[in-house]
Amino acid sequence: MSGSTTTNELAKHRGYTYRLTRRQFLVASSAAALAACGPAATPSGAPATTSAAATAGKPLKLGILLPFTKVYAELGNSMKRSADLYIKSKGGKFANRTVPAPIYEDEANDPQVGLQKTQKFIDQDQVDVMLGIVATPIAYAIRNVVDSAKLIFIETNAGGNALTRTTTDCKPACKSKYIFRSSFSSWQISNPIGEYLASKKGVKEAFTFVSDYGFGTESQADFTAGLTKGGGKVTGTLKAPLGNNDFLPFVTQLKAQPTKDIYSFFSGTDAIGYIKAWNQLGLSAAGYKMNGAGFLTEQDVLKEVKEQAVGAITSLFWAVTLDNPENKAFTDLYQKEYNLLPDVFAVQQWDGMRAVDEALQKLGGDTSDKDRFIRALEDTSFKSPRGDFAFDKDTHNPIQDMYIREVKVVGGQAVNVISDKIARVQDPGK
Amino acid sequence: MSPELAFLQALNGISFGALLFILAAGLSLIFGMMDVVNLAHGAFYMLGAYVALSVVRTTGSFWVALVAVPLALGALGLVVEPLLLRRLRGRHLDQVLITVGVALVITDLIRLKPDWGAEVRTLPPPDALAGSIAILGNDYPVYRLFVIAFGVTLALSLAALHRRSRAGALIRAGVDDAQMLSALGVDTDRLFAVTYATGAALAGLAGVVAAPVLGLQPGMDVEALVLSLIVVVVGGLGTLGGAQVGAALVGPADTFGKVFVPQFALFFIFAIMALVLLLRPSGLLGRIRVIR
Repeated sequence: MSGSTTTNELAKHRGYTYRLTRRQFLVASSAAALAACGPAATPSGAPATTSAAATAGKPLKLGILLPFTKVYAELGNSMKRSADLYIKSKGGKFANRTVPAPIYEDEANDPQVGLQKTQKFIDQDQVDVMLGIVATPIAYAIRNVVDSAKLIFIETNAGGNALTRTTTDCKPACKSKYIFRSSFSSWQISNPIGEYLASKKGVKEAFTFVSDYGFGTESQADFTAGLTKGGGKVTGTLKAPLGNNDFLPFVTQLKAQPTKDIYSFFSGTDAIGYIKAWNQLGLSAAGYKMNGAGFLTEQDVLKEVKEQAVGAITSLFWAVTLDNPENKAFTDLYQKEYNLLPDVFAVQQWDGMRAVDEALQKLGGDTSDKDRFIRALEDTSFKSPRGDFAFDKDTHNPIQDMYIREVKVVGGQAVNVISDKIARVQDPGK
Repeated sequence: MSPELAFLQALNGISFGALLFILAAGLSLIFGMMDVVNLAHGAFYMLGAYVALSVVRTTGSFWVALVAVPLALGALGLVVEPLLLRRLRGRHLDQVLITVGVALVITDLIRLKPDWGAEVRTLPPPDALAGSIAILGNDYPVYRLFVIAFGVTLALSLAALHRRSRAGALIRAGVDDAQMLSALGVDTDRLFAVTYATGAALAGLAGVVAAPVLGLQPGMDVEALVLSLIVVVVGGLGTLGGAQVGAALVGPADTFGKVFVPQFALFFIFAIMALVLLLRPSGLLGRIRVIR
């Protein structure tokens, strides 16, 4: 490139301040911006969230960290809609605390950004409760900061097992008494379906094909353990990179191996690409069966692939078609407000908000004593749109039913139809 | 690996390579002529895909989109070049920076438009190409065969234009020495504007053709830009032949990388690029350029 001369010029002039050119200004200001992006200088020893004064009656400050840009932006939007709707449905009040609009920050699917924004919640905003986070690496990255700041954090999506388990040297993360999870662990959506397929459906052999990152690998291992426990065995594994652009090579390989039952973990664009390639190469017609963790066929995927996903069997703790009064009320309310069907991410956020609300009712709105607040959360149990919801007191992961769902066309639309239920699934973490 | 499987995977690779060529052609053209790495290329591609989505939704026809989208993007290029790039002629780094600005504005506007927005979307292939046909007793998607045919046709017609037409002669002359061309009485302002518009139109065209394969989602602009850059860097910067060779190598390499070493699939093509840069820094068909 012929930019080398200008670069040399730039290098020559750098440091001379007799005349600030635009270019130097840009260099200087971006350096300053970079410095500002570094980890906040304040150690998180004694933030004001632990104020001794009774907090009853004061407005409840919620800090919600979600992705509003990049690939998970729509998940963030969905969860924000759900959080806003919950507050609105309670008339802006949890117990005797008014709940003003939460402080939303964008984690931009980046652990460093997530960490900075969490520090901001702690030091600058001094929030009472933090919620959110879609991607597991970000949840792992902020675990220690939240723990040492004694900030109550409700994880409303990321399912990495380690966040609610005791692990060796706390790697890559471990449970914290300040962290609760209103979503799921990857074990819960991967292991029970493995055991179910082997023991109830007579699947003796399965082949796994998952997304090649922490969560996919975890899901694959948990499924394998479940299938083995039920008396089946995994004949082989294939992994595709996260954000894979072309699924044809992988699905061609799937079709070249003899095991007919395929277990997959993909979501979003990857799931769409995979299901399309599956159809184009005619795997169903060749006798192959698609199984997976529920995100493989959630609404964001189904509305794009439609009947191409018919026959896929997945497990998840919710489906929009789930028949119970709470789910009906929730989906009606959400649909009335936004003219949209809620998705599973909205349910997770809704239950996170609900848990905070229920705990505050028990405490009479007083969040000043963190240990009492934690105990109140631990004792929280309610009827959620997903069914019975309660926290595991040891790990703070939810104990919940898993539904076995099959994609069928109902009234001209491809939907997840619930065919079976595995009751009260509890993550084996301690 | 059975010969039959190898053949199917080779077909996958060629089809991906054809897609890469369509993706990279516009970037290569603009760089060759104007010495500007058009970092708005990915955003033009993304805009093309979303405009195609709207066109298909309103007219119901993929083919209308295939014609209308390149025209629309070409018009955008005709505005961007005189308005922004021309003022910075000769200041290549500044020109590259302004294309980044254009990219940021376009991608944010796409995000703000409610029916485009942040959701994952797909553009279904036209009905005539939606099915599969049997190849060696295996189903194979017709659309992928269309992509191969389209890519090859585009490569041949661009090559013919480049070598045989007056516009091609001007472009070749412009690549060699734009100042001399200007001294000979050619209106280089117009030539540059048309080149930039053609590059943008090619990016839009890529958006239409690639959308049924790669889908539409936030971040697709960066993904497309990176793939295009790899192709032109491997093949040789700024020559049409370079983009062809780059795509023909990178497509199948990516596919067979996924087959043989799936755990390295994500950076396999980056490894190829690093290797080419080590052995032939100007790309496989690249020429040593005179620094002006």
